[in-house]
Amino acid sequence: MFEIAFDSPWYLALLTILPLVWWFSFSSLAGLGQVRRAVAIGVRSLVFVLLVLALAETQWVRVSQRLTVLYLLDQSLSVSQQQSDAMVKYVNRAISRQRDRARQDRAGVIVFGREAAIEIPPLDEDQQMPRVETTVDREHTNLAGAMKLAQASFPHDTAKRIVIITDGNQNVGDAIEQARALAEAGIGIDVVPIRSSAESEVAVEKVIIPSDVRRGQPFDLHAVLSNSAGEGQQPAPVEGRLQIIRKTSNREQTISDQEIKLEPGKRVFKIREEIEQPDFYTYEARFVPRDAGHDTFQQNNQATSFTHVRGSGQVLLLEDFEHRGDFDLMVERLRAMNLEVTVRGTRPEELFTDLAQLQPFDTVLLANVPREQFSDEQVEMLVRNTQSMGSGLVMLGGENSYGAGGWTNTPLEEAMPVDFQIKNAKVAPVGALTMIMHASELPEGNHWQKVIAREALKALGEQDYCGLIHWQMREDWLWYPGLLKVGGGNRDRMLARLERMTPGDMPDFESSMVMARNEFAKLPDAAVKHMILISDGDPSPPNYGPNGAIGTLKKMGVKITTVAIGTHGPPGSTPLQNIADRTGGKYYVVKDAKTLPRIYQKEARRVARPLVFERQPGFQPQIKFPHEMIQGIDEQLPPITGFVLTNPKKNPLVEISLVSPLPTGTDDNTILASWTYGLGRTAVFTTDAGKRWATSWTGWQGYDKLFSQVVRWSMRPTGESGKFTVSTDVQDGKVKVVVTVLDKNDEFLNFLNLGSTVVGPDMKPIDLEIKQTAPGRYIGEFDAKKTGSYLLLISPGPGRTPIRTGVSIPYSDEFRERQTNEALLASIAATIPRQGKAGQVIDAPKNLAPAERLTKLLETNTFRHDLQRATSSQAVWHLLALSASCLFFFDVFVRRVTVSFDWLPLLAARIGDRVLGREGRPDVVATMERLRSSKAAVSDQLEQKRAALRFEPAPDAPGDVTSLKEELADSVAAAARTAKKTTSLTSEQEQEVYTARLLKAKKKVQAEMKKEPSQQENENN
Amino acid sequence: MHRELIHRRSFLALLSAAPSLLCLAGCDEKSFSTGRLVSVWGRRGISDGRLQKPRAMAIDAHDLVYIVDMTARIQVFTTDGQFVRGWQTPVHDNGRPTGISIDRRGNVMVADTHYFRLLIYSPDGKLLETLGGTQGHGPGEFGFLTDAIEDSQGNLYISEYGEFDRIQKFSPDRKFLLEWGGHGSEPGRFARPQSMAIDNRDQLWVADACNHRLQTFNTEGRLLKLWGAQGSRPGQLSYPYGIALDGQGQVYVSEYGNHRVQKFTPEGRTLGCWGTDGRAPGELYNPWALARDSRGLIYVLDTNNHRVQCIQM
Repeated sequence: MFEIAFDSPWYLALLTILPLVWWFSFSSLAGLGQVRRAVAIGVRSLVFVLLVLALAETQWVRVSQRLTVLYLLDQSLSVSQQQSDAMVKYVNRAISRQRDRARQDRAGVIVFGREAAIEIPPLDEDQQMPRVETTVDREHTNLAGAMKLAQASFPHDTAKRIVIITDGNQNVGDAIEQARALAEAGIGIDVVPIRSSAESEVAVEKVIIPSDVRRGQPFDLHAVLSNSAGEGQQPAPVEGRLQIIRKTSNREQTISDQEIKLEPGKRVFKIREEIEQPDFYTYEARFVPRDAGHDTFQQNNQATSFTHVRGSGQVLLLEDFEHRGDFDLMVERLRAMNLEVTVRGTRPEELFTDLAQLQPFDTVLLANVPREQFSDEQVEMLVRNTQSMGSGLVMLGGENSYGAGGWTNTPLEEAMPVDFQIKNAKVAPVGALTMIMHASELPEGNHWQKVIAREALKALGEQDYCGLIHWQMREDWLWYPGLLKVGGGNRDRMLARLERMTPGDMPDFESSMVMARNEFAKLPDAAVKHMILISDGDPSPPNYGPNGAIGTLKKMGVKITTVAIGTHGPPGSTPLQNIADRTGGKYYVVKDAKTLPRIYQKEARRVARPLVFERQPGFQPQIKFPHEMIQGIDEQLPPITGFVLTNPKKNPLVEISLVSPLPTGTDDNTILASWTYGLGRTAVFTTDAGKRWATSWTGWQGYDKLFSQVVRWSMRPTGESGKFTVSTDVQDGKVKVVVTVLDKNDEFLNFLNLGSTVVGPDMKPIDLEIKQTAPGRYIGEFDAKKTGSYLLLISPGPGRTPIRTGVSIPYSDEFRERQTNEALLASIAATIPRQGKAGQVIDAPKNLAPAERLTKLLETNTFRHDLQRATSSQAVWHLLALSASCLFFFDVFVRRVTVSFDWLPLLAARIGDRVLGREGRPDVVATMERLRSSKAAVSDQLEQKRAALRFEPAPDAPGDVTSLKEELADSVAAAARTAKKTTSLTSEQEQEVYTARLLKAKKKVQAEMKKEPSQQENENN
Repeated sequence: MHRELIHRRSFLALLSAAPSLLCLAGCDEKSFSTGRLVSVWGRRGISDGRLQKPRAMAIDAHDLVYIVDMTARIQVFTTDGQFVRGWQTPVHDNGRPTGISIDRRGNVMVADTHYFRLLIYSPDGKLLETLGGTQGHGPGEFGFLTDAIEDSQGNLYISEYGEFDRIQKFSPDRKFLLEWGGHGSEPGRFARPQSMAIDNRDQLWVADACNHRLQTFNTEGRLLKLWGAQGSRPGQLSYPYGIALDGQGQVYVSEYGNHRVQKFTPEGRTLGCWGTDGRAPGELYNPWALARDSRGLIYVLDTNNHRVQCIQM
């Protein structure tokens, strides 16, 4: 269907002067006769109208009858699996029954929790989804985000409707505001409410304890529990056990376990508690119902809270679980120096998972641990623990530390006083890494391949080379010329290229390996050449012969690590294992893609290994700056045989205490350096503690002093901080912090400037401003919508120990709101889209059986077309202007040229005679005669005109006339001769001959006329 | 004046040489380009009649086109792309089939690659027979199956790749007869024998994809011919995945790596190419298979464009 529209319609007013055009034309074209005048006026009017339409910017508008419906499925935790399945069933039926195939309507599905994702893009197919396959963060409901994604996902050439299937309990975003935006865009909204299940619900709402207690000070722990009945149910008490558990850095203890009868409504249970040992304590209250049927959600049956009892400094030492005991000597000596040291390995089950778990410790020692043993979140926690919570962080060296440990380009590198990348190529031999990517059939394969390539690239040093081969129509390097130096700004460009990588189906490994081999051959000086290959094992194996890729790569010293993932059928792939075995690489079989980044970090570390500097028989570190960490240390330090190269940060805060005399001519020789990072302190010690490189230090008398001073310097200040009382309270997604301050005499301390830092569960800092509201009373508030621990550090001022506390949001808001938000859903559906009708709340009585309820819901057609139709317009003013121009010539033609139509009746008569078989009428002959005479008359006229234009010689040149006559006579005679010779000469040729002679004669006369004056001049002279 | 003359001469020489240079430069693309696009059909999708990365195709004696795609559906189309019927393999979690062919009785043989077996269906999708199912390199065991074909005596040849790229021959009553090949680039060995065709003299043509060549064997596995080299020039091959014979001795090959179809004489002399990389009609994106109908039209499975292109070549 097509329509016409105007962008500048006010120009159409010019059409009112059309009668004037007619009036003027009528009088001025009177001489043309009636018919020609009418035609001329008509054409002129048309030209005028077309010009006006062009000025009005006429648009040719195409109207589409198609409709696209996007179903938005709430997948948050408040929606049960059963309800999710019912949603899928409803959507499948609605698409297959209601979609108008003739109209080519489209249907698509979006799922949402905290974020939204497209499950099925809008397609004109009867798509049936077996289940929801996209995973989203289910801990929140972001209706507005899903609506926004839907708006962006609609095709432009159809009408648009969304059908939201949700309980309406949004806890992120504003759906009403977004609904208005959708309505403005002409998008209709239908809503299918999800009814909450009828079961009753018990929840541990919170645990209240003072956040900062003194040793031996009794305090009350309050556990707040609630018991609510389901829709239409009678409130009833619920029986169960309430457990209170106390957790410290190294043990867990149940301090209360009692049978309780929880009456309907909110109830508070109080327990008296007293702490003797200084530590950071976590209290957890847990309710276990006797009958699980009385409780819909188990997730909200526990809550936690923190408190802190100050004491002497605590040290956490994290050691590589694969090399346990390497630092035992140092730990023993530190303990001997009265430091409380806790040693933990780096196995996932031993490592901290929450920032709160680091709070008992005042400094953390990373003892030769590689990067890949920590998750990104754990690295971020270590940094935040120092930057925002004031803890110390010390890295102790070894072959798995710093750049050699893959810590390059991590947030931890930023926190340290040295950079882990070496800029001096002479010092650090380069490494080269090639990655071959073939994991496209892995779920979210593209994403994971980008992640792992990014991790590997980040772990490489500036001097290292990196290349990536993938299949994109053919095997190809992702960047050129293949193996490219990572430094010099290339890393960022490579990372940008990674975003565009879409690896396809690689037929074999041989070609890619040959490409890699050719590039490796260009780097004969590379100390380490390494290749990582990820695949599902589908490509054809490489050639294992001596001249094949594997053989030649092995000769060049290239090791190939293979990662088998998404292999078809049984896990693993023999060809991939063969490749690794034959080249001395590692072979990994991966079932969970989440483990991939660690593998790539570890493998990239093999390339970064040249960052270790080793020399025998050893060299003596030298004191560069007498920092307090090395006070009282003998200047003659025992020799060491190695350390990890680092480069000091160009920052005046960096203090380098010890350096190595080797390598010379570089500043990559730091042994001990320190600086202040945020609220905490960090230090690097680039050699080890006596296991491999500093073996001669173990018997050195300064050993204990040096290490204990380094550790003590880095520790967070401890001790009594004065009479500060901090309390926190969580209400409606906000944490309220109240600080009460008394001086020595128990008088209120006023006008203090309390600094504060909050770190959320995502390790991001949160703004918290604490203001005085009453004498000695200071209050601040921050948003706490995410589940997890929020840790606060309040700085009372210079010279005072910071106060640490924490708040725990134990479970998602999804487990708090259980009733369907009818009001919100009704408001969304009632929004009237532009040029369309308001949506509908598609509902069915709750007491119906599931099948009947589904049938009832399907009675409302979600593909009904009562919405603004999509249009696409095309400007046609230029076509109109062109048409007007052409017609203007026709206008001139009509006025200037008389066209006779007398031949028409004759032609008609002749056709009639031919058709009817009549003989020619006599008047036809007469007509022909008339035509002939007319032709003769016209010829005479033309001849007269020609004669008038013809050149006539001047009468005063008789000699010329004679010569012309002679010439003409010659010409005639010649013509006669020619005619005798060639009787077939055409009249046209004759005419040409005649004309040529005339021209010749004319030229001759002109030439003689020119000669005459010159002769006269000569005579005169 | 003299200088001007030289310039003019040089210019004229260049002018006269340019067409020849252009001719040489375009030798790859233009002078060997042959074939005419007849039709394009198929659309990406998972509903009936749509294709999701189709990887194998065969045409039966009734000119019905059988296509298996990444949803493990075998769909039957008319040669103008009308959906006729379809079915799915019993299980496909481990991976989807990559080969399909028609036997002498008109049954459909599906190389269920990642289940190490051959599925034989009636034309309407009834599973008649399953051959293999055990991974291994013993007789009757398989690696990744790629294709199956019957000779005039009813013997069955099944190709596979992986660790043991080989062809196994079975008697009409499915008894193991012999095997040949092995992984490698030496004559008679294979690197991913992706598809096979058999001519009217019972010579077996094998698209040795990752060796970028074609090999011809007799029914006893003796190597008769071998030709092809890796490259993108006419006459060269890059991952020949599909092969079809026209009964007149000419060989049609779909090249996964060169995104084209190439026509050869039986001796390996190229008779022209059709197609280039791209997404427009007449362009191909990693074509896996091709097949020929009774009228001599060639159907190319344009895998990553999720469609079929019909050409006359």
